[in-house]
Amino acid sequence: MSSLQSQAPPPGLLRPYEMPMPRRRRLANGLTVVSAEHAITPVVAIHVMIDAGTVRESAAQAGLASLVANSLDAGAAGRSGETLAWEFERLGVEIHTEATTEAAWISATVPVERLRPTLALLADIVRRPDFPAADVDRVRDEQLAEILQRRDEPRALANDLILHFLYGDDDAYGRPAVGLADRVRSLTRDDAMCFHQAGISPERTTVVLAGAIDAGEALAAVEAQFGDWRHETAGPDRPDAGLSPLPAAVHVVDRAGSVQSEIRVAHIGVQRTHPDYFALRVMNTIFGGAFTSRLNLSLRERYGFTYGVRSGFAFRRNPGPFTIQTAVATEVTHRAVEEIVRELVLMHDSGAADEEVANARDYLAGVVPLESQTADQLASRFAELVLFDLPDDYYRGYRAAIQAVTADDVARVAREHLRPDDLTVCVVGDAAAIREPLEGVVGNISVHPVPQ
Amino acid sequence: MIEIPFETHRLDNGLRVVLSADRRLPIVAVNLWYNVGSRNERPGRTGFAHLFEHMMFQGSANVPDNGHFAMIEKAGGTLNGSTWLDRTNYFETLPSHYLELGLWLEADRMGGLLPAMTQEKLDNQRDVVKNERRWRVDNQPYGDWDERIQALMYPPEHPYHHSVIGSMEDLDAASLEDVSQFFRTYYAPNNAVLTVCGDFDVGEALSLVGRYFGGIPAGPPVPSLPGRTVVPDRMGSEVRETVPQDISLPRLYLSYRIPPYGDDRYYAAFVAAFVLAWGKASLLYRRHVRGDAVLQDVTSYAFPIVVGASMLVTWATVRPGVSRERAEAAVLGQFDALASVTDEDVERARNLIESRHLAELQGVDERADQLSMYTTLFDDPARINTEIDRLRSVTTADVRSLASGFLGPDNRSVLWYVPMQEVGE
Repeated sequence: MSSLQSQAPPPGLLRPYEMPMPRRRRLANGLTVVSAEHAITPVVAIHVMIDAGTVRESAAQAGLASLVANSLDAGAAGRSGETLAWEFERLGVEIHTEATTEAAWISATVPVERLRPTLALLADIVRRPDFPAADVDRVRDEQLAEILQRRDEPRALANDLILHFLYGDDDAYGRPAVGLADRVRSLTRDDAMCFHQAGISPERTTVVLAGAIDAGEALAAVEAQFGDWRHETAGPDRPDAGLSPLPAAVHVVDRAGSVQSEIRVAHIGVQRTHPDYFALRVMNTIFGGAFTSRLNLSLRERYGFTYGVRSGFAFRRNPGPFTIQTAVATEVTHRAVEEIVRELVLMHDSGAADEEVANARDYLAGVVPLESQTADQLASRFAELVLFDLPDDYYRGYRAAIQAVTADDVARVAREHLRPDDLTVCVVGDAAAIREPLEGVVGNISVHPVPQ
Repeated sequence: MIEIPFETHRLDNGLRVVLSADRRLPIVAVNLWYNVGSRNERPGRTGFAHLFEHMMFQGSANVPDNGHFAMIEKAGGTLNGSTWLDRTNYFETLPSHYLELGLWLEADRMGGLLPAMTQEKLDNQRDVVKNERRWRVDNQPYGDWDERIQALMYPPEHPYHHSVIGSMEDLDAASLEDVSQFFRTYYAPNNAVLTVCGDFDVGEALSLVGRYFGGIPAGPPVPSLPGRTVVPDRMGSEVRETVPQDISLPRLYLSYRIPPYGDDRYYAAFVAAFVLAWGKASLLYRRHVRGDAVLQDVTSYAFPIVVGASMLVTWATVRPGVSRERAEAAVLGQFDALASVTDEDVERARNLIESRHLAELQGVDERADQLSMYTTLFDDPARINTEIDRLRSVTTADVRSLASGFLGPDNRSVLWYVPMQEVGE
């Protein structure tokens, strides 16, 4: 043991770091191209982001944005879904499609020499999907089965239900992207066609390329496949979401016999472009956003209630939720909720000490290069610039903006944006075991069966 | 293809060191593999290797409780550890000017864990791990699949018969004395590989490694694995188990015994998994997810494990309204189809594998982990560059021959999860 050094060594000299600068251009038809050169291995990450997220579907058609995103490659430009799958995968390319609240996404990481044929295939499925009726029906049935799977899985169920209790089903922020069973069931091929026709156009599409490619090649490669796309979408402006939350309440969803309770404690947060963004990130890191956060050191490392707990703001175009989430042993459910609320009140009332704030700043600023290693990570970051109307040089000032946050800022944003008196709580667990002790902590509770 | 550069060293105490410099980004990964996993656990102590991993984050001679996490996060780094059948790994990725901090922290627990161990910490982490088990296994649909598959696929005396997470009862039985004994037996430099990957000067890093790790004494020779590690190539029969659960959709886990990771035939199994279930043109997806819509989803995976035999495990969730008999026949049908698999199918699988390889090696953390793995399992870090050739050279004939040799009815387990209401209350 004598060989061990008793003192932690000091850091060496900080090496400079700059994130690659993205180039953003618009083609004549309105399509946005973003590229960033970053050659670690000879691959390029492609993210196609289309302003066709669930905020653009009507509540009556909840699940349609996902149905469209997941049917794009089910048949296009006269080729079957199976043919398209062969064309992608012969190139070694697997694509991922998904709709989120704010956008539809198609993404892939490809060897650079396969970029052009991959883009040609992507152009087919984005511009010329055929939505074959039998395939759309199959994708719809997959969504219905996925809804059943999410209901069976306590984590997914709690994630879906806290949104439902915060915003309600008629708000795109209040329902899962996969949709709601009674509404998905009635979706048809014609609905998919209409959604595509009315909502997917060059104006609403961004293609991000990050990796082993320079800006000139990137622009030329996208232009070659998307430059002659002419399609107007003169539809209404993007509908708002998240602006009429429901009253706060405490809900228990009964899963008899559960050995754990999935706990979600939440309230409405702020939009991504809020001027307090950086101070909120620092505050949340201290509160529940890192391993050594107050919540995790308490619930896990002090009490052993849980394998882990975390909190976070879902930063979107409009105010998304601020959520604390954990899973705890059934018998300590009420104690865990009590502790979460106690910590929230403490942060709200007293903010954080200088040292905590400095540690959180250093963590958030330090991990930026670690979390910008892969082409895919960079493509996600640069897609966000377009999604939230942020400038190209946004990340140049990012670490400085984190480092500028003070303890006073943290105290102020905690006071302004945390709402310990306005909490919506959703616990998925064994109601018979947890209800009474939990009522002793939070007062009135509504108990619900697992939704059928 | 790309070539990851590296050099290897061995300290006098037996610690193997792999250094792989890449100065393009100012970050560095520190990665340690200890050659110990759940396979080393003695009867009555299942889950202990993993519980022990948690104790490695509870401070050491010069590091306070939670100091490991606190110092790395303060430095702007990320960290974790994980336990599996064959190994336990610990890793941090840091801004490169904090390399020395990462080495100091790892050395302090390798050389001085025990003075920091207390009953209170053990009791706390036991509760944390029991909650991890509830979260991953007991409160999760299909959550105990790996536990059940391992029990079906390996005889009770084999080290892979029990799961990594272990039983609640055995976790309860773990004592501080077990912690000391396990540490002294397995956590010595001669049973570990240290990899540093990223932005550093090789000469400087080597001298830092010597300074921090060189004085840690070697441990005694590591005991051989408990139980009986040899199993017949094939199981000799089909075993079946049906588990009623509170679920809506039945799911099948179909497992075949295959040669261990490292064997030539393992690579054919790895490719076969891609042929079967990776991508929308794979056999199972195109015929039974897209084709006749019998299956909701499907995955297949050849476990990279090295003791005695490995497993090719395929799982498939059944669509509402489809009978289990029909789904099982559909999945088995594609295993039969492997006997006449085409060049086109195998070529597609190889191309997907190659692209993934290129994408994977972007991160210094992933490269470091692979270098540690190849050194620990095969004493051959060069496999980070050559393993892909083993996969690329798998032929259609290799996949067919694997199928006829290993993927038949006398060499598999069939595990079904079925909705309660289908079997009656």
